[in-house]
Order: sequence, then structure tokens, then C-alpha cells
Amino acid sequence: MGAEEKMKRGEFNFVWLFAIIAGAAILILAVYGATRLADTTRFQTDTEVGKKLSIITDPLQAGFAEGSFGKIIFRSETRVNNYCDSGEFGKNEISVSTRSRIGEEWKLAGGATSIHNKYIFSSPQNSGKEYYVFSKPFNFPFKVADLILMTTESYCFVNTPEEIKNEVLGLNIPNIAVENCTNADDEVSVCFGSSNCDINVFGTCTNGCGDLGVYEEGSVLKDGEKMEYVGNLMYAAVFANKEIYDCNVKRLMYRTAKIAEVFSKKADLMNARGCNTGLKPDLYLISGMALDAESGDLIVLNNFAKQVQIKNDRELCGLW
Amino acid sequence: MKAQMKIQQMAFMIVAVFFFFILVGLFFLAWQSRSLTTNFEDLQKEQALSSIEVIANMPELNCDSEKSLCLDEDKLNVLTGNLSNDYNDFWPVESVRVYRIYPAFSESGKKKCPSLECNYWEIYDSAQELNEQDESKDSSTSHESSQEFSSYVNICKNMKEAGYVYSKCEVGKLVVGARLAE
Repeated sequence: MGAEEKMKRGEFNFVWLFAIIAGAAILILAVYGATRLADTTRFQTDTEVGKKLSIITDPLQAGFAEGSFGKIIFRSETRVNNYCDSGEFGKNEISVSTRSRIGEEWKLAGGATSIHNKYIFSSPQNSGKEYYVFSKPFNFPFKVADLILMTTESYCFVNTPEEIKNEVLGLNIPNIAVENCTNADDEVSVCFGSSNCDINVFGTCTNGCGDLGVYEEGSVLKDGEKMEYVGNLMYAAVFANKEIYDCNVKRLMYRTAKIAEVFSKKADLMNARGCNTGLKPDLYLISGMALDAESGDLIVLNNFAKQVQIKNDRELCGLW
Repeated sequence: MKAQMKIQQMAFMIVAVFFFFILVGLFFLAWQSRSLTTNFEDLQKEQALSSIEVIANMPELNCDSEKSLCLDEDKLNVLTGNLSNDYNDFWPVESVRVYRIYPAFSESGKKKCPSLECNYWEIYDSAQELNEQDESKDSSTSHESSQEFSSYVNICKNMKEAGYVYSKCEVGKLVVGARLAE
């Protein structure tokens, strides 16, 4: 082998070695960059979806209707996390993560969207492509807010009282079967007045009961835990977990107290122009009692709220 | 000599490729940042638009539980007072104002409520809230990047005359503001 040939081989080897190392470095950097970029884009998209979810639920609120229903369909399987903070008006923090076919199945959720003016009742973590959202108003005794109930599971109501059957069938909610249970493994059974189901609802209302009859107030037994409810909070107790339920009820009670304050000041303005109302002391009481109230205080408070409602109905210058 | 030449060629090539990727990356980042801003603004606008009805139907402002887009004048007066501070974090928008628009509202004749013959209520303004926290900030700059959306509403109050109670209503406009860029 001549010296020239040896040099050529050395040159060839060096060029190839250099190209391979540089090429590999560029490729590694490109792959790393692309992965980071994909993660960032996914985080951005998930954050946007979370924000959109909060916007989409605006028109789904019951407003002046008895209730409303809507279905949210995502393009791919999506996990919605619901965190509740109960301080003062509190907030629901909604974050979303989409399912990935590459690598880790569920990556870190996008940035959370804080929603202060809505009360979203759901499990802390729901996964699915189709989300059923329905809304019912909450009155205590005046309108306080619309409850937003979000689920992905199928439910079957057993021994359903006529009042609730009419409400559910009227809203045409596809994930709630009334009596016609399929007994599928993923179907959650809800019993009214008995304790043979996954979730058991008991009604204890005896006087001044509204549209829900005996189920106007009572308790819901779920996962071995008891949740007391009044009015449409029954649906919230059925569909949400205890932690979210208790937190949102605390928020609702705080808002009840603040609305009572608004009504109390409205009463002053009305009295000043001769449209007198004697509800001010009652509103003070509601405000004081509801400010730090929790779900366990609901039934006691509801008895007082019912009396205040009767008084307001009798007033010529009613406040609500 | 030839090998050195090859190495130099390779080095230049690598630098060129590196710069190419940097440029592509920068271009992508600029595009991404622009699309992020656009998306943020679109979402803020959507939020403000969908919030108009939600705000008008809030029990803190609404006439009663049966009338849509009807604001209670007494509640407006209450919420412009001390109670409004409690609601600072509550609003899903940057500002909430209500104008009485009949007789015609003019900027020159604007008079803040509650007062005699007033014609507008400032329920909430996040810029003002921020300015209160940091007085050194110029309030005019914080308004530059906001957009307002509005809807006509009824402004009603219960009146009692000769033993009869009736609702006295006027035409108003609910204006909500959305911040368009951070």
C-alpha cells in the first residue's frame, strides 16, 4: 500500500466520521427540538381547549329555564380536570389534557382556566370523547346561580319519582336512562328511596316542598359518603364527587350571602321611595348564616329560606 | 492540503446548516407567538361576547328571575357602591359598564351613578383596580389594548304609586370590555 493511498483512506475515514458525528448531532438536536415543540404546542392547545370549555359552558347555563342540556364532543379522547377552591367566591379551575398515541398516554395538562362565576360539578378527573353538560338553577330562596353538571358516564335511575322522571325526560339527556337500565359494567345505577345501587338518593322534605316533592331536600349516599342537598343540588350530589360538591356548595353559600346583602341594600333604596319591604332583617339573617355555611348546614338553612320566600311572595313590593 | 480543504468545506456546511435551522426556528417562534396572541385575543373576544348575557342575567344585577337582559336599577346602584370591591375577582371580563341611553347619551353630559340625573354605572374596571394598586401606572395605557362589546338592555326599578306597584323601565346598554393583549 503506497503512502498516497494510505492518506486517501485516512482522508476518507475522517470525512465520513466528521459527517456522521455532525449529522448525528444535528439529527439529535432536531428530534429534541421537535419533541419539545410538540409538547409546547400540545400544552398551548390544551390550555386553549380549557379556556374554550369555560366559554362553551356560558350558553349551556339554564338562565331562566328550568334546565338545559348540551353535549360537548372532542376530536380525540380528552381528560378534563376540575379543581375547586372554596375561598370566598372561590373558583373552579379547569385544565385539559389530550390522549397521546406516542409515549406517555396522558401528558401534563394544559394551563388551568380559573372560573369564578360558575359552579361546575363533576368528578375531579373525567376522561372521554363526549361530555354531557346539563344545567339547573339553584334558588335559596332567590336565584343564586346555575349549577353546571358535567359527566362522561352513563347513569340509570331506578325507582325514579314522577317529578324527577319528568325533569330528566324533558331535558332529553342521553346518558341518563330512567328505569330502562342496560346493566352494563360502566353504567352507574342511582336508586331513589332504597340503598341497592351505586348511588342512593333519599328525600326528607315534609313541608313546603317544591317541584322535586319529597326529594326537595335530603341526602345522597355515594362511595360510602353522605352529601346533604336541597333543591337541584340533588343532581349535583349525584354527578359530582364529595370534595367538589362540598367546595362548590361552600362557594354557593358565600354567593347567597352576598346576594342577600345586595337585596338588603336594594330594600333600603325601595323603602326610601315608598315601596316598603319588611324583609331586611331576614336578609341580614340569611347573609350571616350563609356566609360560612357548608353542605351539612343546607337543610337547616333551607327551612329558614322557605319562610323568607313565603314572606317575599306576600309582599306588595317583593324583592325578587 | 486537500483534507484541510474538505474539513473547511464541511465546517462551513455545518455552520450554514446550523444558521438555517436557527432561522427556521426563529421564523417558527415568531409565527407561533403571533398565532398565540391571535388565539388569546379571539378567546378573550369570545369570552366577552358570551359573558354579556351571563352578566345581564346574574342575580346580582337582574330585575327578577323571569326577565332576560333586564337590569335592576337599584341593584346597579348597590353594586357601584362599596359592595363592588367584593366582586373584583368575580367578573369574567375586564370591565362592566351600564349606560342609560334614552335620552341620548353623550360623553360630555355623562354623569356617574349613583347621583341625581346620572346616566351611567361603572360596575367594574380592572384597569382602575390595577391603578389603585399601583398609582404610578398610567390608566390611559391600560385601555389601549381593550375592546368593548355591548348589548341593549332594560333598566327597571319597582315603583309604587297610588297603592299600585309597577316596573318603571328605561333603555340601557350593557358594555363589557375584553383585554386583547397582555
